[in-house]
Formats: sequence, C-alpha cells, structure tokens
Amino acid sequence: MFSEIKNRFATDDVEVKRKGLYKVVVKHERLFALIVMLKEMYDYKTLNTITCTDWIEEGHFALTYIMTTLKRNETFMLQTMILREEAHTKSLSYLFKQAQIMERDLHEMYGIKFEGNENLKELSLENWVHTPPLRREFDTLEFVNNHLTFRDGRDDNIDTKAESKRLRAIKKAEKEAAKKAKESKKAEDVQ
Amino acid sequence: METGFLQEQKVLEGDLNSENSHQNSVDFLMNWFRKQSIFVLAYGTGCGAIEMPPTFTSRYDAERLGIRGAATPRQADVIIVSGYCSYKTLRRIIRTYEQMSNPKYLLALGSCTVNGGMYWDSYNTIKKLEDYLPVDMYVNGCMPRPESILEGFIALQKEIGEGKASSWQKYEENYEFYRKNQEAVLGKKVEPSYEADWYLYEGGL
Ligand code: SF4
Repeated sequence: MFSEIKNRFATDDVEVKRKGLYKVVVKHERLFALIVMLKEMYDYKTLNTITCTDWIEEGHFALTYIMTTLKRNETFMLQTMILREEAHTKSLSYLFKQAQIMERDLHEMYGIKFEGNENLKELSLENWVHTPPLRREFDTLEFVNNHLTFRDGRDDNIDTKAESKRLRAIKKAEKEAAKKAKESKKAEDVQ
Repeated sequence: METGFLQEQKVLEGDLNSENSHQNSVDFLMNWFRKQSIFVLAYGTGCGAIEMPPTFTSRYDAERLGIRGAATPRQADVIIVSGYCSYKTLRRIIRTYEQMSNPKYLLALGSCTVNGGMYWDSYNTIKKLEDYLPVDMYVNGCMPRPESILEGFIALQKEIGEGKASSWQKYEENYEFYRKNQEAVLGKKVEPSYEADWYLYEGGL
C-alpha cells in the first residue's frame, strides 16, 4: 500500500508515526483520488476530522484529513497545502456526510471555500462581518480593544509589587527594632 | 426590627421618621413580599451555571430563603447571568430579559461578567455586562461557590426590601444607552432570529 501511494500520489515516503498511525503529504490535485482509493480499497471508511493549520509565513494553509479504519485499527493523516489567498478546495461531502459540517466550520473560522458544499452558513458565530477569527492575520487583542470596553480600575488600586515591598520593609524594621530592644534588655540584666 | 406579623403591623401603623420613610406602607409591604419569594429563571450561561444546581437543591437549599426556580421568563423575577456571554448568548439573554415581567432583577456571577475574567482578550465575549443590561448584584469569583451565590441573593433581598433594587426602571429610562451598546456589538438586529434554519436546513446540523 505504501509503495503504491508513493508511486502514484506523493513525492515523499509515507511516514509511520507509530504503529497504526501514518502520515503523508500529497499535492492538492492528487488528494481526492487518494482519499477515494483509501476508502474503496483499504477500508478507510471513517473520516474523523478535517483540520487546518495557518502557515502565514509560507502563505498557505495545511489541510489535514484524518481517516480511520476500524478493521485494522489504523489511522491515516493526509496533508495537503492550499494557498491562503482566496483559499478554496473541493468539498468531500459527496463521499462522507460528516465532511459537510467540518467544512462548514473551516469555512467559518478560516474563510476557506469548499466548492460543492451546499450549506456553508455560519455555524457557531452569528452575523460575523470581520476577518474569519482563526486566520492569523486577525489580531484578537486589537479587535477587543477596538470593539469592546473594559472596566476602569478602581481609584484606590495600588501597585501590588510596590505595596508588598513597602510592607515587607516595615515588617523588617519592626523585627530589627524588637531584636535590638531584646539585646539592650539583656545587657541591662547582666549589668 | 421585628419581623413577620409584628413588622407588618408596625408598617401599617406608620412611622414617618423611620429609615424607610421614603417608602409608603404599601410599597414597603410589596417589597417585603417580593423579597420573600424570589423566582429564579432556570437559565445558565458560561461555566458558573454548574454551581446553580447545588445551590437550588438539597445541599445548599436556597428554597429555605424563598428562592426557587421558575420555568419560563414570564414567571421569573430574577435572571442569573452565570458567566461569560458570547455575542450569540447575549442576544438570547437580552430577549429573555425583555420578556420577563416587572419587577425583574439581574444577578451576575463570576469575574467574566465583571470584566471579562479570563476571557478578557477573546474576540467573541463581551467584557462588561452592565453596558448591555442593568445589573443589580455582582457576585465575583471564578467561579463563585454556592455560599457566595446565596450571599449575593441575601444582599439582593436586602436591596429589594429597601426598595433600592430598581434596575428594570433604569433599563427603561436609559433604554437608548443600552440599545446603542447592544447594537455596537450585535449589529442592527439585536433580537435572535427564530427561523431555526441553521439546524433544520438539509445538511445542517
Ligand atoms: S468567571 Fe470563571 S467560572 Fe465564571 S464563566 Fe468566567 S471563567 Fe467560567
């Protein structure tokens, strides 16, 4: 199976992460043929998840499709790269029903367009008009500062570090004073 | 101060020099009744909701203070916002709050409602609940234990008894302010849509 995959689909070897967990990086055009092959010929009947990693420096998204076969208890991770700009790929929903909602989620969070998926409405957000929030160019902190208000601090709030330093100094002085008093008392007793 | 029957008697006889003289006897009685039977809407958002079942069941038994659950917003006096509110939840909370009948009170649990809590830099949760809805009582903590929730309730009861808890009036008077803030984060259409298409749609959930 591995040599076949290498010869027909991938440039690299299939990486064996551990027993029953394999990973291969394939070109985007070959991905769907490989998925069909794994499903039809090697019993990878379950699509567990589709994940996306944002490689903003290299300018692409890494999509990972994770498939499992229960027959041999093996898991296959298929990775492919797509361009970040106007990211789009084909939908898998005609092969796996569950892909529909996974793709909907990715569309919402990364703005990837899945051609052939008939319902890409928002899933957990509502009326979101800004950059898809999991893209890395979306600056969460800046967004929060621009859109939401924070409570001002209390008027009597104090710098805890300085305050604890001050308290410690006072305590130290007290201790030393007590020590001195004790010593002088001792000296008096001796006299 | 006497309680129960004796107190009622005292109120009916009236004492204009007492500390509660700004309320007339009827007000005072009404508030006294109100504070003895608080119906809490069975609704929770955020992690703080997990502390509410023990508060209302036998372990902490809030019912001994006259605090008990209500099934629908129309029957409830108090709504508890028990933690962080995402925009999506805020829509529902606003709708629910507006459905409740007067007098209504809002109890906010957890540091998330006070100042965002540990979600202070999240793009999807509001930071200060009182900008969007009037809050009668904050209970801080992450998350507050049932003891503190009860303490918050007792403080709320005290305020109700004194006629000070009047956030619903504040909401009506300053509705424009609240609405402006709501629209700033939720867009022009604040009310949630009830089309239910997002899960009934073919290929939906
Ligand atoms: S205050 Fe803490 S417990 Fe409450 S909702 Fe926020 S994170 Fe959760």
